[in-house]
Amino acid sequence: MAETFPINIWINEERFKALNDAGLAGLLKEELAGMKVLIVPCTAEQRDKVLTLFPMAKYDAATTKSIELLPKQVKDKIYELAVRRKTLNVMDEFIKEVEKG
Amino acid sequence: MQLIGHGGKPLVERVITDKAEAKKKIAGLKKVPASRQMATEAIGIAYGFFSPIEGFMKKADVEATCKKMELADGTIWSIPIVYDISDKEIADYGIKQGESVLLTFDGNPLAIFDIEEIYTYSKDEIAEKVYGTKEEKHPGVARTYAYKDKFLGGKITLVNEPKVREPFGPYFLTPRQHRAKFQEKKWQRIVAHQTRNVPHSGHEWLMKHAYIAAHGDMPVEQMEAPGGATSGILVNCIVGEKRAGDYIDEAIVLTQDELRKSGYFREDIHMVTMTFWDMRYAGPREAVHHSIIRTNLGLTHHMFGRDHAGVGTYYHSYQAHHLLMSIPKEKLNITPIYVLEWAYCPHCGEVTCIGLCGHTKELQKFSGTKIRSIIMDEVKPTRMIFRPEVFDVVMDSAKKFGFGSPFVTKEYLAKAAPAFRVDPL
Repeated sequence: MAETFPINIWINEERFKALNDAGLAGLLKEELAGMKVLIVPCTAEQRDKVLTLFPMAKYDAATTKSIELLPKQVKDKIYELAVRRKTLNVMDEFIKEVEKG
Repeated sequence: MQLIGHGGKPLVERVITDKAEAKKKIAGLKKVPASRQMATEAIGIAYGFFSPIEGFMKKADVEATCKKMELADGTIWSIPIVYDISDKEIADYGIKQGESVLLTFDGNPLAIFDIEEIYTYSKDEIAEKVYGTKEEKHPGVARTYAYKDKFLGGKITLVNEPKVREPFGPYFLTPRQHRAKFQEKKWQRIVAHQTRNVPHSGHEWLMKHAYIAAHGDMPVEQMEAPGGATSGILVNCIVGEKRAGDYIDEAIVLTQDELRKSGYFREDIHMVTMTFWDMRYAGPREAVHHSIIRTNLGLTHHMFGRDHAGVGTYYHSYQAHHLLMSIPKEKLNITPIYVLEWAYCPHCGEVTCIGLCGHTKELQKFSGTKIRSIIMDEVKPTRMIFRPEVFDVVMDSAKKFGFGSPFVTKEYLAKAAPAFRVDPL
């Protein structure tokens, strides 16, 4: 399976309840003593596009191997798209939306 | 009273506190404006943080530091402390070897600089020897290649003590003041926790491990009664140049202090101070440099975790430990305490050391990056990994000092006041 490069979207209690109610709690993983996280995968190409579109973000190659420092508003949009589509494979659509402006 | 610092030498204290004397000494000197970094290091030199060096390094010391990790006289030294200057500035300010100038900061007198030497030095060699790489994406290497044409070497005498702004004021202590505090607390063993981070509970457990290790073979009942401690943890926060995405220094200092204020460390065993220093991310060599600074502050022990002062993947996890282990004990008079990571084990239901827990496949490692990510998403972490009081101070610091963010942003870099100012004499 090709390597993926995740964007971690951490879920507060309110969002967890909403995801649970919508039957989407299965999309979540648990990390760090019970923190709920939506792990949205990117391919290498998607990762590179995200880093170009959002230059403040960084790929942490040293420790977490994830895309970090994305602004909250950006992650909120990815989260909303994942909930709308009921899937984590949303990065192509998200990137197209951003590129369209 | 003469204090002894690194290398077994008298602690450097080159500060004129009498204003009248200072004004007399600086009269007629050419004024040379110092950058924030040079001003910070001049202050550090004068107060003895970098003892035994008494000024910005001359060529012989830079060469010995690079090639042998020692000063020209054989004292262990790992990172050159240099004053760089352009040929144009030398001409514009009329700087001459053998003369003294007055360094200014924000237009006000700061320190007398006796220019004993003007020299050049290979930036390639500094990069290679100090950082182990010439790649410019290493921040320390980038800093090196940004040095100007020449270096000035010579003694520094502070003539105007800095005023440290809030909230940092209470946390800035000189080496002499640190030692006075340790005496007041009756601490015999003091272990440094060096940090540029807001603490999660993994950090907290590292400190607890280091405290117990440093207390070592001293009677355990000394730890028992509140107020009776003979060992202490000094959390010494590095305050200096920031990069976007770092925690703001205000959040770092205040959250570290909050651990004691909220009782996660007993009042008599924990203290927070700060040292002005621009991180070089030199990994092993910076671990040695930090050891030197903390020796000068009067500490007996220094904690080193994984990849101390590293960046990216330039240094392997325990390279700093190996370098420290290679230094003869008599040349570095502070005892390293090497600590392994702590992680959360869902099976144990607790934070545990990775060297102790047998549930290796289940361990959830702390990651500063992940916790940063959680905070940026404005989600309150679980109390097992992040104390709620610390989270509240992070959010409060964001509002009070960070222009809405606990992390360094372009706005913070542009608008935050420098940590210290220098007033007119």
